[in-house]
Amino acid sequence: MNRIADKRNLRRKRRLSTNSRMALFFHSPTFIILTLITLGPVLYTIYLSFFNYSLSQPGSKNQFIGLNNYAKVFSNPEVFSSLIVTFKFVLISVAVQTVLGFGIAMIINSLKRGQRVLTALVMLPMMVAPLVIGLMYSFLLNPQFGIYAYMVDTLKLPLPLTPLSEPNSALLVICITDIWEWTPYMVLMFLAGLQSMPMEPFEAARVDGANALQIFHKITLPLMKPIFVIALILRVVEAFKEFDKPYILTGGGPGSATDVIDMYTYRQAFVNYNYSYAATICVILFIILIAIGISYGKFVMEREKN
Amino acid sequence: MKRIKSYKTKRRLITTLLFCTVIAYALIMSLPYLWLLLTSFKHRVDAFSIPPKLLFNPTLDNFKVAFLDKNFLLNMKNSLIVTSFTTFFSLVIGLPSAYAFSRFPFRGDKFFYYYLLGTRFTPIIVLALPLYLIMKSLNLTNSYTGIIIAHTAFNLAFVVWMMKGFFDTIPLEVDEAARMDGCSWFKVFMKIALPLTKSGIAATAVFCAINSWNEFLMALVLSGMDTQTLPVAIPGLLTPQGTYWGQIAAVGTVITLPVLIFTIIVQKHMVKGMTMGAIK
Repeated sequence: MNRIADKRNLRRKRRLSTNSRMALFFHSPTFIILTLITLGPVLYTIYLSFFNYSLSQPGSKNQFIGLNNYAKVFSNPEVFSSLIVTFKFVLISVAVQTVLGFGIAMIINSLKRGQRVLTALVMLPMMVAPLVIGLMYSFLLNPQFGIYAYMVDTLKLPLPLTPLSEPNSALLVICITDIWEWTPYMVLMFLAGLQSMPMEPFEAARVDGANALQIFHKITLPLMKPIFVIALILRVVEAFKEFDKPYILTGGGPGSATDVIDMYTYRQAFVNYNYSYAATICVILFIILIAIGISYGKFVMEREKN
Repeated sequence: MKRIKSYKTKRRLITTLLFCTVIAYALIMSLPYLWLLLTSFKHRVDAFSIPPKLLFNPTLDNFKVAFLDKNFLLNMKNSLIVTSFTTFFSLVIGLPSAYAFSRFPFRGDKFFYYYLLGTRFTPIIVLALPLYLIMKSLNLTNSYTGIIIAHTAFNLAFVVWMMKGFFDTIPLEVDEAARMDGCSWFKVFMKIALPLTKSGIAATAVFCAINSWNEFLMALVLSGMDTQTLPVAIPGLLTPQGTYWGQIAAVGTVITLPVLIFTIIVQKHMVKGMTMGAIK
């Protein structure tokens, strides 16, 4: 009896070790490449943040200055205001995308025919290059010959004629371009979620005589909750990295109304050549996003276990 | 009887209404893009006319000037080189890892999972700055190397995610049968797993290619005069002397049309791959 158990244990052990050996073999290319081209550069960024590497001050040497850069970043109101702009942008865009995306997904899901065609039609905007989206909107919003100014003018709409030249409406325009681009992603995620829901709770509720609103509130929403969490985190992280559309539409202006954090960092690094200062902001951004990433990973793992 | 009938017509009416809502949404959303498309075929006069013109004499002048006279053909070549190398490397490196996630669960899984996830959550600018400085010190700022490396770095995680899901759909019995016949795991992967997930690989490849083709920030930072990709080169048409909107529209059309066509071709598998994370 004991011997059989021993043998089984041994076999299990051996299988486990083959598994890990094969896993290491198959994982190694990704691991090596990622270490070289992602972890390496990130470590280099952290290293840079402790120096004063910059081309903007001629004659300055590449010296170790400890935490000086961090002190500079935290005491700079520009960084703070840029982060506020980014948060506003992320909040507005992702909130609208979620509500709109869920509505469209619910409608498509309720249809018996044409789901595939509609999905294809709806998903196209997210495949357009963000830079082209920016240019497209800048053409539409052109004050001289843009179709937007023409409509506002002829229909006497109560809207600003040049939305990109006023702080609040400029940020709103950037949000609208992002909503235009990424609502499709939310539709796809929610549609996939809706279609993978089990049928039983719905049938049971219908037998018990629940109405549509009750079913939606008590069954659909709770079942969709994990998908909401996943989709929201992924969108928030992506929106946090926004760069292309403000770069082409506003360049961060007017003033600093649309100066999202990636724009600000880009300017510090590649216009002002303050490499170390930019690296410091990068480290802070990295920490924020990795923190979100870890909570995301935990959530997904937890869910897979259950 | 009558009641059932009226219930049915009511239902049909609601369905039609809902259908129309989505169609209307899709149409409104595609208007800005259609306008860009139309503008690319317009003469200068028609593009800037007030009121805007819907009917006009189409012309290919914008394409001709942008691609033949202004060298956008070179940028297109650059884009094609960067996109194909990125897609190739991302798949060659990422596919085995995806297979391992699907077939060889072991204790290090969690670590690899977080490692990959980390690259997906790393902001692009955080990679762009150090890569730029490294490329500069190696005198490689005017080459494709930096852009391809950067694009591969952020595509790898997507490849692994999407393909793990597709490998999961192959029944375990299939590889067991092959193992019984004396195939090594590597051979099982090459000869069985890859051919069985062809359409998944195609969708993943298209997804990688689109990511790389559309990417702007990395390409902007890491390219030199001779290696600018299409998105990086377009802002060059916004000159102090004026903006060449017709040509911008033409280049924009050339960037987006192939992407949209490919998306529609592999739509089913791509949607499956992209939403895999949401569903177990």
